Amino acid sequence: MRGERSVSERTVRRLQWLWLVVAFGLIGGIITWIAHLIRTAWRLGDVPSASIGISIVSIPIFLTMLGVILYVFVGLRGDRGER
Amino acid sequence: MADPADTRDAALLAPIERTGRGFYWTVGLLSLLILWGAIAYWTQFDEGLGVTGLHQPVSWGFYITNFVFFIGISHAGTLISAILRLSKAEWRRPITRMAEVITVMVLFIGAGQILVDLGRPDRMLNIIRYGRYQSPLLWDATSISAYLTASLTYLYIPMIPDIAILRDRVGKRKLFYSVLALGWTGTERQQRVLNRAIAILAVLVIPIAVSVHTVVSFVFSMTLQPMWHSTIFGPYFVVGAIFSGIAALIVAMIAFRKAYGLESYLKPIHFRYLGQLLLVMSLLWFYFTFAEYLTGYYGSEPEEMKVFWSKFTGPFWPFFWGMVLTNFFIPILCLMRLGRRTIGKVLIASLSVTVGMWLERFIIVVPTLSNPRLPFGEGLYFPTWVEWGELAGSFALFALFYVLFTKVFPVISIWEIREGREVGLKEVEERLLTYLPDAAEPDVVGKRTEVVK
Repeated sequence: MRGERSVSERTVRRLQWLWLVVAFGLIGGIITWIAHLIRTAWRLGDVPSASIGISIVSIPIFLTMLGVILYVFVGLRGDRGER
Repeated sequence: MADPADTRDAALLAPIERTGRGFYWTVGLLSLLILWGAIAYWTQFDEGLGVTGLHQPVSWGFYITNFVFFIGISHAGTLISAILRLSKAEWRRPITRMAEVITVMVLFIGAGQILVDLGRPDRMLNIIRYGRYQSPLLWDATSISAYLTASLTYLYIPMIPDIAILRDRVGKRKLFYSVLALGWTGTERQQRVLNRAIAILAVLVIPIAVSVHTVVSFVFSMTLQPMWHSTIFGPYFVVGAIFSGIAALIVAMIAFRKAYGLESYLKPIHFRYLGQLLLVMSLLWFYFTFAEYLTGYYGSEPEEMKVFWSKFTGPFWPFFWGMVLTNFFIPILCLMRLGRRTIGKVLIASLSVTVGMWLERFIIVVPTLSNPRLPFGEGLYFPTWVEWGELAGSFALFALFYVLFTKVFPVISIWEIREGREVGLKEVEERLLTYLPDAAEPDVVGKRTEVVK
Protein backbone atom coordinates (compact mmCIF):
# COMPACT_ATOMS: atom_id res chain seq x y z
CA MET A 1 0.00 0.00 0.00
CA ARG A 2 2.76 2.37 1.05
CA GLY A 3 4.84 1.36 -1.97
CA GLU A 4 1.88 1.91 -4.28
CA ARG A 5 1.37 5.45 -2.95
CA SER A 6 5.04 6.39 -3.33
CA VAL A 7 5.08 5.12 -6.94
CA SER A 8 2.07 7.26 -7.71
CA GLU A 9 3.67 10.31 -6.10
CA ARG A 10 6.86 9.71 -8.03
CA THR A 11 4.87 9.56 -11.27
CA VAL A 12 3.14 12.80 -10.39
CA ARG A 13 6.47 14.46 -9.63
CA ARG A 14 8.00 13.23 -12.89
CA LEU A 15 5.03 14.42 -14.91
CA GLN A 16 5.21 17.81 -13.20
CA TRP A 17 8.85 18.12 -14.25
CA LEU A 18 7.86 17.09 -17.76
CA TRP A 19 5.21 19.81 -17.70
CA LEU A 20 7.90 22.35 -16.79
CA VAL A 21 10.18 21.09 -19.55
CA VAL A 22 7.34 21.46 -22.09
CA ALA A 23 6.66 25.04 -20.93
CA PHE A 24 10.36 25.88 -21.17
CA GLY A 25 10.60 24.17 -24.56
CA LEU A 26 7.65 26.14 -25.92
CA ILE A 27 8.71 29.57 -24.71
CA GLY A 28 12.40 28.83 -25.27
CA GLY A 29 11.52 27.75 -28.83
CA ILE A 30 9.85 31.09 -29.55
CA ILE A 31 12.85 32.99 -28.16
CA THR A 32 15.20 30.86 -30.28
CA TRP A 33 13.05 31.57 -33.34
CA ILE A 34 13.23 35.34 -32.76
CA ALA A 35 17.01 35.08 -32.28
CA HIS A 36 17.24 33.09 -35.53
CA LEU A 37 15.42 35.87 -37.42
CA ILE A 38 17.79 38.49 -36.00
CA ARG A 39 20.75 36.38 -37.05
CA THR A 40 19.37 35.93 -40.57
CA ALA A 41 18.65 39.65 -40.92
CA TRP A 42 22.14 40.46 -39.62
CA ARG A 43 23.86 37.98 -41.94
CA LEU A 44 22.01 39.28 -45.00
CA GLY A 45 22.28 42.95 -43.99
CA ASP A 46 18.48 43.00 -44.29
CA VAL A 47 17.52 45.90 -41.96
CA PRO A 48 18.61 44.11 -38.77
CA SER A 49 17.53 47.16 -36.74
CA ALA A 50 13.86 46.15 -37.20
CA SER A 51 14.50 42.67 -35.84
CA ILE A 52 16.61 43.95 -32.98
CA GLY A 53 14.04 46.64 -32.10
CA ILE A 54 11.16 44.18 -31.91
CA SER A 55 13.16 41.54 -30.09
CA ILE A 56 14.19 44.07 -27.42
CA VAL A 57 10.51 44.29 -26.54
CA SER A 58 9.37 40.72 -27.12
CA ILE A 59 12.20 38.61 -25.66
CA PRO A 60 11.94 40.18 -22.15
CA ILE A 61 8.18 39.53 -22.22
CA PHE A 62 8.73 35.84 -22.92
CA LEU A 63 11.48 35.69 -20.29
CA THR A 64 9.17 37.30 -17.71
CA MET A 65 6.52 34.68 -18.42
CA LEU A 66 9.10 31.96 -18.07
CA GLY A 67 10.15 33.52 -14.76
CA VAL A 68 6.55 33.58 -13.49
CA ILE A 69 6.03 29.92 -14.43
CA LEU A 70 9.26 28.93 -12.68
CA TYR A 71 8.36 31.01 -9.63
CA VAL A 72 4.96 29.31 -9.32
CA PHE A 73 6.43 25.87 -9.93
CA VAL A 74 9.14 26.23 -7.30
CA GLY A 75 6.96 28.25 -4.90
CA LEU A 76 4.09 25.78 -4.85
CA ARG A 77 6.03 22.54 -4.99
CA GLY A 78 8.48 23.73 -2.36
CA ASP A 79 5.75 24.19 0.24
CA ARG A 80 3.24 21.39 0.16
CA GLY A 81 2.30 21.63 3.87
CA GLU A 82 -0.26 19.23 5.29
CA ARG A 83 -2.92 17.98 2.94
CA MET B 1 -8.38 27.96 1.98
CA ALA B 2 -9.71 25.49 -0.60
CA ASP B 3 -11.36 23.10 1.82
CA PRO B 4 -12.45 20.00 -0.10
CA ALA B 5 -15.10 19.25 2.52
CA ASP B 6 -16.87 22.53 1.78
CA THR B 7 -19.92 21.52 -0.25
CA ARG B 8 -21.50 24.95 -0.64
CA ASP B 9 -20.27 25.19 -4.22
CA ALA B 10 -21.29 21.70 -5.30
CA ALA B 11 -23.20 23.23 -8.22
CA LEU B 12 -19.89 24.29 -9.75
CA LEU B 13 -18.53 20.74 -9.63
CA ALA B 14 -21.75 19.11 -10.83
CA PRO B 15 -21.02 19.50 -14.59
CA ILE B 16 -17.69 17.69 -14.05
CA GLU B 17 -19.13 14.88 -11.95
CA ARG B 18 -22.29 14.22 -13.97
CA THR B 19 -23.07 14.36 -17.67
CA GLY B 20 -26.60 15.01 -18.86
CA ARG B 21 -28.25 14.22 -22.17
CA GLY B 22 -28.00 17.88 -23.20
CA PHE B 23 -24.22 17.60 -23.29
CA TYR B 24 -24.31 14.76 -25.85
CA TRP B 25 -26.85 16.60 -28.00
CA THR B 26 -24.71 19.73 -27.95
CA VAL B 27 -21.54 17.84 -28.80
CA GLY B 28 -23.36 15.94 -31.58
CA LEU B 29 -24.72 19.11 -33.15
CA LEU B 30 -21.41 20.93 -32.94
CA SER B 31 -19.59 17.91 -34.36
CA LEU B 32 -21.85 17.99 -37.41
CA LEU B 33 -20.93 21.61 -38.07
CA ILE B 34 -17.25 20.82 -37.51
CA LEU B 35 -17.59 17.96 -39.98
CA TRP B 36 -18.95 20.40 -42.56
CA GLY B 37 -15.95 22.65 -41.89
CA ALA B 38 -13.55 19.69 -42.16
CA ILE B 39 -15.03 18.59 -45.51
CA ALA B 40 -14.82 22.18 -46.75
CA TYR B 41 -11.18 22.42 -45.69
CA TRP B 42 -10.31 19.07 -47.22
CA THR B 43 -11.88 20.17 -50.52
CA GLN B 44 -9.86 23.38 -50.44
CA PHE B 45 -6.67 21.55 -49.49
CA ASP B 46 -7.19 19.03 -52.28
CA GLU B 47 -8.29 21.33 -55.08
CA GLY B 48 -6.68 24.63 -54.05
CA LEU B 49 -8.04 28.06 -53.18
CA GLY B 50 -9.86 28.13 -56.53
CA VAL B 51 -12.84 26.45 -54.86
CA THR B 52 -13.35 29.54 -52.69
CA GLY B 53 -14.67 32.94 -53.73
CA LEU B 54 -11.18 34.45 -53.31
CA HIS B 55 -9.71 35.83 -56.52
CA GLN B 56 -8.01 38.95 -57.85
CA PRO B 57 -8.38 41.65 -56.62
CA VAL B 58 -10.22 40.29 -53.54
CA SER B 59 -7.66 37.90 -52.07
CA TRP B 60 -8.81 38.28 -48.47
CA GLY B 61 -12.38 37.35 -47.57
CA PHE B 62 -14.07 35.32 -44.86
CA TYR B 63 -10.84 33.83 -43.48
CA ILE B 64 -9.16 37.13 -42.71
CA THR B 65 -12.47 38.55 -41.47
CA ASN B 66 -12.69 35.58 -39.09
CA PHE B 67 -9.07 36.05 -38.06
CA VAL B 68 -9.61 39.69 -37.07
CA PHE B 69 -12.96 38.84 -35.47
CA PHE B 70 -11.70 35.94 -33.34
CA ILE B 71 -8.54 37.73 -32.26
CA GLY B 72 -10.80 40.65 -31.29
CA ILE B 73 -13.04 38.46 -29.16
CA SER B 74 -9.98 37.21 -27.32
CA HIS B 75 -9.85 40.58 -25.60
CA ALA B 76 -12.89 39.49 -23.64
CA GLY B 77 -11.01 37.53 -21.52
CA THR B 78 -7.67 38.37 -20.41
CA LEU B 79 -8.02 42.11 -20.76
CA ILE B 80 -11.38 42.39 -18.99
CA SER B 81 -10.41 39.88 -16.34
CA ALA B 82 -7.05 41.58 -15.72
CA ILE B 83 -8.58 45.04 -15.47
CA LEU B 84 -11.29 43.83 -13.08
CA ARG B 85 -8.73 42.00 -10.95
CA LEU B 86 -6.36 44.96 -10.75
CA SER B 87 -9.18 47.37 -9.94
CA LYS B 88 -10.39 44.93 -7.24
CA ALA B 89 -13.91 44.90 -8.63
CA GLU B 90 -15.55 42.34 -6.35
CA TRP B 91 -18.27 41.45 -8.85
CA ARG B 92 -15.59 39.96 -11.11
CA ARG B 93 -15.32 36.70 -9.13
CA PRO B 94 -17.80 34.51 -11.06
CA ILE B 95 -16.83 36.07 -14.41
CA THR B 96 -13.05 35.98 -14.76
CA ARG B 97 -12.64 32.26 -15.52
CA MET B 98 -15.21 32.31 -18.32
CA ALA B 99 -13.53 35.34 -19.84
CA GLU B 100 -10.05 33.78 -19.66
CA VAL B 101 -11.26 30.57 -21.30
CA ILE B 102 -12.76 32.52 -24.21
CA THR B 103 -9.41 34.17 -24.81
CA VAL B 104 -7.42 30.98 -25.06
CA MET B 105 -9.98 29.15 -27.23
CA VAL B 106 -10.50 31.92 -29.76
CA LEU B 107 -6.80 32.67 -30.06
CA PHE B 108 -6.22 29.14 -31.32
CA ILE B 109 -9.11 29.43 -33.75
CA GLY B 110 -8.17 32.94 -34.86
CA ALA B 111 -4.55 31.99 -35.54
CA GLY B 112 -5.79 28.86 -37.35
CA GLN B 113 -7.64 31.04 -39.88
CA ILE B 114 -4.29 32.16 -41.26
CA LEU B 115 -3.37 28.55 -41.95
CA VAL B 116 -6.67 28.05 -43.76
CA ASP B 117 -6.20 31.26 -45.74
CA LEU B 118 -2.73 30.20 -46.84
CA GLY B 119 -4.20 27.41 -48.93
CA ARG B 120 -0.97 25.51 -48.50
CA PRO B 121 -0.32 25.30 -44.76
CA ASP B 122 3.23 23.99 -45.32
CA ARG B 123 4.14 27.54 -46.40
CA MET B 124 3.82 28.55 -42.75
CA LEU B 125 7.30 27.08 -42.37
CA ASN B 126 8.62 29.91 -44.54
CA ILE B 127 7.72 32.36 -41.78
CA ILE B 128 9.70 30.31 -39.29
CA ARG B 129 12.70 29.95 -41.56
CA TYR B 130 12.82 33.19 -43.53
CA GLY B 131 10.54 35.63 -41.67
CA ARG B 132 11.45 39.31 -42.01
CA TYR B 133 10.67 41.69 -39.19
CA GLN B 134 10.00 44.54 -41.60
CA SER B 135 6.62 42.95 -42.28
CA PRO B 136 3.67 43.70 -39.97
CA LEU B 137 2.55 40.10 -40.60
CA LEU B 138 5.53 38.94 -38.57
CA TRP B 139 4.80 41.50 -35.84
CA ASP B 140 1.42 39.80 -35.71
CA ALA B 141 2.93 36.34 -35.43
CA THR B 142 5.16 37.49 -32.56
CA SER B 143 2.51 39.39 -30.62
CA ILE B 144 -0.07 36.62 -31.00
CA SER B 145 2.50 34.07 -29.74
CA ALA B 146 3.15 36.31 -26.72
CA TYR B 147 -0.57 36.77 -26.10
CA LEU B 148 -1.32 33.07 -26.42
CA THR B 149 1.46 32.15 -24.02
CA ALA B 150 0.44 34.85 -21.53
CA SER B 151 -3.27 33.93 -21.75
CA LEU B 152 -2.59 30.23 -21.26
CA THR B 153 -0.47 31.01 -18.19
CA TYR B 154 -3.04 33.51 -16.95
CA LEU B 155 -5.78 30.91 -17.31
CA TYR B 156 -3.81 28.12 -15.68
CA ILE B 157 -2.26 29.80 -12.64
CA PRO B 158 -5.52 31.10 -11.07
CA MET B 159 -7.00 27.65 -11.73
CA ILE B 160 -4.47 25.77 -9.53
CA PRO B 161 -6.49 25.90 -6.24
CA ASP B 162 -9.58 24.67 -8.10
CA ILE B 163 -7.61 21.84 -9.68
CA ALA B 164 -6.53 20.86 -6.17
CA ILE B 165 -10.21 20.77 -5.11
CA LEU B 166 -10.92 18.49 -8.08
CA ARG B 167 -7.94 16.30 -7.16
CA ASP B 168 -9.29 15.87 -3.63
CA ARG B 169 -13.01 15.63 -4.37
CA VAL B 170 -13.65 14.24 -7.83
CA GLY B 171 -13.07 10.52 -8.24
CA LYS B 172 -11.87 10.62 -11.84
CA ARG B 173 -8.72 11.91 -13.60
CA LYS B 174 -6.78 11.81 -10.33
CA LEU B 175 -3.35 11.68 -11.96
CA PHE B 176 -4.16 14.51 -14.35
CA TYR B 177 -5.41 16.81 -11.58
CA SER B 178 -2.55 15.83 -9.24
CA VAL B 179 0.04 16.80 -11.84
CA LEU B 180 -1.60 20.14 -12.65
CA ALA B 181 -2.30 21.05 -9.00
CA LEU B 182 1.49 21.31 -8.41
CA GLY B 183 1.12 20.09 -4.83
CA TRP B 184 -1.30 22.84 -3.83
CA THR B 185 -2.51 22.50 -0.24
CA GLY B 186 -3.53 26.07 0.38
CA THR B 187 -0.80 27.12 2.83
CA GLU B 188 -0.25 30.82 3.42
CA ARG B 189 3.02 30.75 1.49
CA GLN B 190 1.41 29.06 -1.52
CA GLN B 191 -1.38 31.62 -1.45
CA ARG B 192 1.18 34.42 -1.39
CA VAL B 193 3.08 32.94 -4.33
CA LEU B 194 -0.14 32.51 -6.29
CA ASN B 195 -1.41 36.03 -5.63
CA ARG B 196 1.94 37.54 -6.58
CA ALA B 197 2.10 35.54 -9.83
CA ILE B 198 -1.49 36.49 -10.74
CA ALA B 199 -0.74 40.17 -10.07
CA ILE B 200 2.40 40.10 -12.27
CA LEU B 201 0.52 38.37 -15.09
CA ALA B 202 -2.45 40.74 -14.84
CA VAL B 203 -0.12 43.71 -15.28
CA LEU B 204 1.80 42.01 -18.09
CA VAL B 205 -1.21 40.83 -20.02
CA ILE B 206 -2.87 44.25 -20.47
CA PRO B 207 -0.18 45.84 -22.69
CA ILE B 208 0.23 42.55 -24.57
CA ALA B 209 -3.53 42.43 -25.30
CA VAL B 210 -3.55 46.05 -26.45
CA SER B 211 -0.48 45.48 -28.61
CA VAL B 212 -2.02 42.40 -30.28
CA HIS B 213 -4.99 44.18 -31.77
CA THR B 214 -2.96 47.27 -32.56
CA VAL B 215 -0.59 45.07 -34.53
CA VAL B 216 -3.52 43.31 -36.24
CA SER B 217 -4.69 46.75 -37.39
CA PHE B 218 -1.16 47.49 -38.68
CA VAL B 219 -1.56 44.68 -41.22
CA PHE B 220 -4.08 46.98 -42.89
CA SER B 221 -3.01 50.48 -41.94
CA MET B 222 0.66 50.07 -42.95
CA THR B 223 -0.45 49.67 -46.57
CA LEU B 224 -1.46 52.60 -48.79
CA GLN B 225 -4.79 51.01 -49.66
CA PRO B 226 -7.82 53.34 -49.59
CA MET B 227 -9.61 53.42 -46.22
CA TRP B 228 -6.93 51.23 -44.63
CA HIS B 229 -4.13 53.77 -44.35
CA SER B 230 -5.43 55.37 -41.17
CA THR B 231 -3.65 56.52 -38.03
CA ILE B 232 -6.59 55.70 -35.76
CA PHE B 233 -6.84 52.07 -36.88
CA GLY B 234 -4.85 50.87 -33.84
CA PRO B 235 -7.14 52.28 -31.12
CA TYR B 236 -10.20 51.70 -33.35
CA PHE B 237 -9.38 47.99 -33.53
CA VAL B 238 -8.67 47.77 -29.80
CA VAL B 239 -12.00 49.44 -28.96
CA GLY B 240 -13.82 47.10 -31.35
CA ALA B 241 -12.03 44.10 -29.85
CA ILE B 242 -13.03 44.94 -26.28
CA PHE B 243 -16.56 45.66 -27.51
CA SER B 244 -16.95 42.28 -29.23
CA GLY B 245 -15.16 40.56 -26.35
CA ILE B 246 -17.67 41.80 -23.77
CA ALA B 247 -20.55 40.73 -26.02
CA ALA B 248 -19.13 37.23 -26.46
CA LEU B 249 -18.52 36.94 -22.73
CA ILE B 250 -22.13 37.87 -21.93
CA VAL B 251 -23.47 35.31 -24.44
CA ALA B 252 -21.27 32.58 -22.91
CA MET B 253 -22.32 33.56 -19.38
CA ILE B 254 -26.00 33.38 -20.22
CA ALA B 255 -25.63 30.05 -22.04
CA PHE B 256 -23.77 28.36 -19.16
CA ARG B 257 -26.01 29.97 -16.53
CA LYS B 258 -28.97 28.31 -18.18
CA ALA B 259 -27.28 25.00 -19.04
CA TYR B 260 -25.63 24.40 -15.64
CA GLY B 261 -28.13 26.16 -13.38
CA LEU B 262 -25.70 28.85 -12.20
CA GLU B 263 -28.39 31.42 -11.41
CA SER B 264 -27.15 31.92 -7.87
CA TYR B 265 -23.65 32.77 -9.10
CA LEU B 266 -24.38 34.81 -12.21
CA LYS B 267 -26.95 37.27 -10.96
CA PRO B 268 -28.77 40.05 -12.82
CA ILE B 269 -26.39 42.56 -11.20
CA HIS B 270 -23.45 41.01 -13.10
CA PHE B 271 -25.32 41.40 -16.37
CA ARG B 272 -26.31 44.94 -15.46
CA TYR B 273 -22.66 45.94 -14.92
CA LEU B 274 -21.50 44.20 -18.08
CA GLY B 275 -24.45 45.71 -19.97
CA GLN B 276 -23.39 49.18 -18.87
CA LEU B 277 -19.85 48.43 -19.99
CA LEU B 278 -21.22 47.26 -23.35
CA LEU B 279 -23.22 50.47 -23.68
CA VAL B 280 -20.13 52.61 -23.05
CA MET B 281 -18.15 50.58 -25.60
CA SER B 282 -20.98 50.95 -28.15
CA LEU B 283 -20.81 54.74 -27.83
CA LEU B 284 -17.03 54.66 -28.04
CA TRP B 285 -17.18 52.42 -31.12
CA PHE B 286 -19.62 54.81 -32.79
CA TYR B 287 -17.36 57.76 -32.01
CA PHE B 288 -14.36 56.04 -33.64
CA THR B 289 -16.40 54.92 -36.65
CA PHE B 290 -17.75 58.44 -37.12
CA ALA B 291 -14.27 59.99 -36.83
CA GLU B 292 -12.82 57.45 -39.27
CA TYR B 293 -15.44 57.94 -41.98
CA LEU B 294 -15.78 61.71 -41.60
CA THR B 295 -12.02 62.18 -42.06
CA GLY B 296 -12.08 60.11 -45.25
CA TYR B 297 -15.14 61.90 -46.58
CA TYR B 298 -13.75 65.37 -45.85
CA GLY B 299 -10.49 64.57 -47.64
CA SER B 300 -12.49 63.38 -50.70
CA GLU B 301 -9.52 61.56 -52.17
CA PRO B 302 -10.96 59.84 -55.30
CA GLU B 303 -9.74 56.32 -54.47
CA GLU B 304 -10.98 56.66 -50.90
CA MET B 305 -14.36 57.90 -52.07
CA LYS B 306 -14.83 54.86 -54.30
CA VAL B 307 -14.55 52.61 -51.26
CA PHE B 308 -16.56 55.02 -49.15
CA TRP B 309 -19.54 55.03 -51.52
CA SER B 310 -19.34 51.29 -52.13
CA LYS B 311 -20.01 50.93 -48.40
CA PHE B 312 -22.64 53.64 -48.05
CA THR B 313 -24.75 53.15 -51.16
CA GLY B 314 -22.86 50.62 -53.33
CA PRO B 315 -22.84 46.83 -53.27
CA PHE B 316 -21.76 46.70 -49.60
CA TRP B 317 -24.53 48.92 -48.23
CA PRO B 318 -26.51 46.08 -46.54
CA PHE B 319 -23.38 45.05 -44.60
CA PHE B 320 -22.43 48.63 -43.68
CA TRP B 321 -25.88 49.73 -42.48
CA GLY B 322 -26.41 46.32 -40.90
CA MET B 323 -23.23 46.95 -38.94
CA VAL B 324 -24.43 50.39 -37.78
CA LEU B 325 -27.80 48.94 -36.78
CA THR B 326 -26.41 45.98 -34.84
CA ASN B 327 -23.45 47.73 -33.23
CA PHE B 328 -25.11 50.98 -32.30
CA PHE B 329 -28.89 51.32 -32.56
CA ILE B 330 -29.96 47.90 -31.20
CA PRO B 331 -27.51 47.93 -28.23
CA ILE B 332 -28.44 51.52 -27.35
CA LEU B 333 -32.15 50.70 -27.42
CA CYS B 334 -31.67 47.56 -25.34
CA LEU B 335 -29.22 48.93 -22.80
CA MET B 336 -30.52 52.45 -22.29
CA ARG B 337 -32.92 51.36 -19.55
CA LEU B 338 -32.05 48.18 -17.72
CA GLY B 339 -34.86 48.12 -15.21
CA ARG B 340 -36.77 44.91 -15.87
CA ARG B 341 -35.75 41.85 -17.91
CA THR B 342 -32.10 42.85 -17.64
CA ILE B 343 -30.72 39.52 -18.78
CA GLY B 344 -32.98 39.31 -21.86
CA LYS B 345 -32.10 42.83 -22.96
CA VAL B 346 -28.38 42.32 -22.39
CA LEU B 347 -28.51 39.04 -24.34
CA ILE B 348 -30.22 40.66 -27.36
CA ALA B 349 -27.68 43.51 -27.30
CA SER B 350 -24.75 41.08 -27.06
CA LEU B 351 -25.95 38.82 -29.87
CA SER B 352 -26.51 41.92 -31.98
CA VAL B 353 -22.99 43.22 -31.26
CA THR B 354 -21.45 39.82 -32.04
CA VAL B 355 -23.08 39.87 -35.50
CA GLY B 356 -22.29 43.57 -35.91
CA MET B 357 -18.62 43.22 -35.10
CA TRP B 358 -18.22 40.37 -37.58
CA LEU B 359 -19.84 42.63 -40.20
CA GLU B 360 -17.50 45.45 -39.18
CA ARG B 361 -14.44 43.25 -39.79
CA PHE B 362 -15.91 42.19 -43.15
CA ILE B 363 -16.64 45.79 -44.13
CA ILE B 364 -13.03 46.74 -43.35
CA VAL B 365 -11.41 43.84 -45.22
CA VAL B 366 -13.42 43.33 -48.41
CA PRO B 367 -14.60 46.68 -49.91
CA THR B 368 -11.05 48.09 -49.97
CA LEU B 369 -9.79 45.05 -51.88
CA SER B 370 -12.78 45.28 -54.23
CA ASN B 371 -11.74 48.82 -55.16
CA PRO B 372 -7.93 48.76 -55.18
CA ARG B 373 -5.76 51.82 -55.60
CA LEU B 374 -3.60 50.13 -58.24
CA PRO B 375 -5.10 49.89 -61.73
CA PHE B 376 -6.58 46.40 -61.36
CA GLY B 377 -10.16 45.83 -62.34
CA GLU B 378 -12.73 46.13 -59.61
CA GLY B 379 -14.23 42.91 -58.31
CA LEU B 380 -16.88 41.66 -55.95
CA TYR B 381 -16.53 38.81 -53.52
CA PHE B 382 -19.00 35.96 -53.26
CA PRO B 383 -18.06 33.29 -50.71
CA THR B 384 -18.71 29.69 -51.73
CA TRP B 385 -19.95 26.79 -49.59
CA VAL B 386 -16.32 26.15 -48.66
CA GLU B 387 -16.00 29.48 -46.84
CA TRP B 388 -19.43 29.13 -45.23
CA GLY B 389 -18.38 25.67 -44.06
CA GLU B 390 -15.17 27.04 -42.58
CA LEU B 391 -17.10 29.81 -40.87
CA ALA B 392 -19.63 27.39 -39.33
CA GLY B 393 -16.88 24.94 -38.43
CA SER B 394 -14.80 27.63 -36.70
CA PHE B 395 -17.68 28.85 -34.54
CA ALA B 396 -18.66 25.26 -33.72
CA LEU B 397 -15.08 24.37 -32.84
CA PHE B 398 -14.92 27.31 -30.45
CA ALA B 399 -18.19 26.26 -28.80
CA LEU B 400 -17.08 22.61 -28.60
CA PHE B 401 -13.74 23.50 -27.00
CA TYR B 402 -15.59 25.63 -24.47
CA VAL B 403 -18.14 22.92 -23.62
CA LEU B 404 -15.40 20.30 -23.26
CA PHE B 405 -13.43 22.62 -20.98
CA THR B 406 -16.43 22.89 -18.64
CA LYS B 407 -16.49 19.09 -18.36
CA VAL B 408 -12.93 19.02 -17.06
CA PHE B 409 -12.55 22.25 -15.08
CA PRO B 410 -15.03 24.44 -13.18
CA VAL B 411 -16.27 27.28 -15.35
CA ILE B 412 -16.51 29.56 -12.30
CA SER B 413 -13.55 29.96 -9.99
CA ILE B 414 -14.50 28.15 -6.78
CA TRP B 415 -11.66 29.44 -4.63
CA GLU B 416 -12.26 33.03 -5.68
CA ILE B 417 -15.94 32.74 -4.72
CA ARG B 418 -14.94 31.31 -1.33
CA GLU B 419 -12.32 34.01 -0.89
CA GLY B 420 -15.01 36.60 -1.67
CA ARG B 421 -17.23 35.19 1.08
CA GLU B 422 -14.47 34.81 3.64
CA VAL B 423 -12.12 37.71 3.00
CA GLY B 424 -13.66 39.92 0.33
CA LEU B 425 -16.51 41.30 2.42
CA LYS B 426 -14.19 42.46 5.19
CA GLU B 427 -11.68 43.85 2.71
CA VAL B 428 -14.34 45.87 0.91
CA GLU B 429 -15.55 47.34 4.20
CA GLU B 430 -12.01 48.32 5.18
CA ARG B 431 -11.33 49.78 1.74
CA LEU B 432 -14.57 51.75 1.82
CA LEU B 433 -13.60 53.28 5.14
CA THR B 434 -10.33 54.51 3.64
CA TYR B 435 -12.27 56.37 0.90
CA LEU B 436 -14.47 58.27 3.37
CA PRO B 437 -13.38 61.41 5.24
CA ASP B 438 -12.19 60.78 8.80
CA ALA B 439 -14.97 61.28 11.35
CA ALA B 440 -14.22 64.43 13.38
CA GLU B 441 -14.50 64.23 17.17
CA PRO B 442 -17.49 66.22 18.60
CA ASP B 443 -15.44 68.62 20.83
CA VAL B 444 -13.11 69.49 17.91
CA VAL B 445 -16.16 70.34 15.80
CA GLY B 446 -17.52 72.55 18.61
CA LYS B 447 -14.23 74.51 18.89
CA ARG B 448 -14.08 75.07 15.13
CA THR B 449 -17.64 76.42 15.10
CA GLU B 450 -16.70 78.91 17.84
CA VAL B 451 -13.65 80.09 15.87
CA VAL B 452 -15.79 80.68 12.78
CA LYS B 453 -18.26 82.70 14.82
